[in-house]
Amino acid sequence: MSAITTPTTRGKKRRRDQLTFVEFLVFVVPLLVFVITLYGTLIWTFYVSLSNWSGIAANYEFAGFKWYQSLFNNIRFWVDVQNNLKWLILGVIPTVFLAIFLAYLLELAPFPAIESYIRTLILYPVAMSFIVTGTIWSWMYEPKRGVFNTILAALGVQSPLTFTTNPSTATYWLILIFIWQYLGFAVIIIQSSFRTSELQEMVEAATVDGASKLRILFSIIIPNIRSGLLVLVSLLLISTLKVFDIVYIVTFGGPGISTDVLSLYMFIATFQQHLVSMGAALGVIIFLIAFIIVIPYTIYALRRWFE
Amino acid sequence: MRSKNATIKIIVILTLILLSFAYLLPVYVMIITSLKSVQEVTVGNYLIPTGSPQFGNYTEVLFGSTRFRSQMLPRLLNSMIISFSVTFLSAFFGGLGGYYLSRSKSTFTRVLFILVGIALYMPLQAIIIPLVTLMAKTRLLLTHWGLIVSYLVLNVPLASVLMGTFFLSVPRELEEAAEVDGASKIQTFFRIVTPISMPAYVSVAIIIFTQVWNEFFLALSLSSPATQTVQVVMAEAKGTTLVLYNLQMAAALLSVFVPLLFFLLLGRYFIRGILAGALKG
Repeated sequence: MSAITTPTTRGKKRRRDQLTFVEFLVFVVPLLVFVITLYGTLIWTFYVSLSNWSGIAANYEFAGFKWYQSLFNNIRFWVDVQNNLKWLILGVIPTVFLAIFLAYLLELAPFPAIESYIRTLILYPVAMSFIVTGTIWSWMYEPKRGVFNTILAALGVQSPLTFTTNPSTATYWLILIFIWQYLGFAVIIIQSSFRTSELQEMVEAATVDGASKLRILFSIIIPNIRSGLLVLVSLLLISTLKVFDIVYIVTFGGPGISTDVLSLYMFIATFQQHLVSMGAALGVIIFLIAFIIVIPYTIYALRRWFE
Repeated sequence: MRSKNATIKIIVILTLILLSFAYLLPVYVMIITSLKSVQEVTVGNYLIPTGSPQFGNYTEVLFGSTRFRSQMLPRLLNSMIISFSVTFLSAFFGGLGGYYLSRSKSTFTRVLFILVGIALYMPLQAIIIPLVTLMAKTRLLLTHWGLIVSYLVLNVPLASVLMGTFFLSVPRELEEAAEVDGASKIQTFFRIVTPISMPAYVSVAIIIFTQVWNEFFLALSLSSPATQTVQVVMAEAKGTTLVLYNLQMAAALLSVFVPLLFFLLLGRYFIRGILAGALKG
């Protein structure tokens, strides 16, 4: 848009940008009400985390950072942090790599029919809840009679796998369920970032120059889908950080507290142990981590939106 | 980018087989197990379909029995009421808000956009205590409104961003022409923009419906006997009927039926919604 605007266009622009009271009421107020409620409850949670609410009845007596301190001195909290880190790393990195591989393979697939079949196949879990997936996978993981060990036994392998009943590896088996469920979602996002005309032209030029398929993937495609990757990695990081359903339904944090995560501990502290202020402190900590994760993504989204 | 290379063909076919196995097995297991009797579930042959399918498992799960106390039918209705209300209201309010976000470039809009953007990724753990307190105090907790209002707080911002993404791609010329003809912004929105955005509304509705139907944390924390959702009752059933895998699978099948049907019928809108959610337009 040119820097010099005539008075008439400026006047017209203002008319289009500014809302009358009624228009403000119709377009902005409903959204505003929900957003204010959301942030209001967030601030309220922070306030609860600084007070002394332990028990059924609300208690807003100021207690400073007492509950944060007690969390930092609590072994369970650190077990959870470790498990959350496992989720963040192992739930995201393999999913992204698998998704890039699959998306590229789908682009190269000789028959379009195969592509649409695989897409539907890996995407349908997106429509299912973790509660359902968790219920099915619990049955498949069952060490004595479960599906996986039955298959292995049929193949003549005396399976040593105990899946989610072994405290030292249980979290990994939970993460596998997450990857299974999110892979299709990840492939869709990566695939759409392949399909920009600039990238397609670059790939074509490289193909004419005789570059190998792998070379094209690593030196042309991956560096040029950075924004798609940013979006995908942010979404996956947030989903793994918030993970609750899978752990709740499959192991409920067990055996012992070996698969416990921050969000499950928050739930148990608040609704079962009635240490509401401690639950609030956990909620605030989870929010702060989520906030850090979404900053780069939000900046990117803001730029794209208002460009 | 289609390739005729033989190695790639082999890799594609191997991947195809592997993925088919990984993604069809859970569904296959769910379906065959849901039709077995308890005896069959305990003795073995877990991968072989039963010779005498027990369709009674489904009625038992729907209406409850002494060994399976969690009746699914009222919970399916609760989930329907809650999910459809939230979907409709979020799409409506989200459309209005998203239109504003996509048409104004003021500082206020930018601040609102950042707040809405972060709201999409708000961990529920950070807002649940006040929500439960509020819903209990206002007694909304005892009705479907407790969950509906709570879900609206989360889904109206989401719907605004999704709808806004679509509105960004609607050409302004149409609206300008309407405004020249003397239509107000509200008239323009409802008479011009809304009708051509119907596919977008379908996408947003599917995304929100699936999300609300499948949501667990909020549904669990705000659950009251009269409004319990499908997911909560599934979790409860899994905890109380440890060995009744056949009934658990029947319940699982009944609870995924609705969202899966939407996915299969309206898959294209579903994918478009996911992509809009990832801000890829």
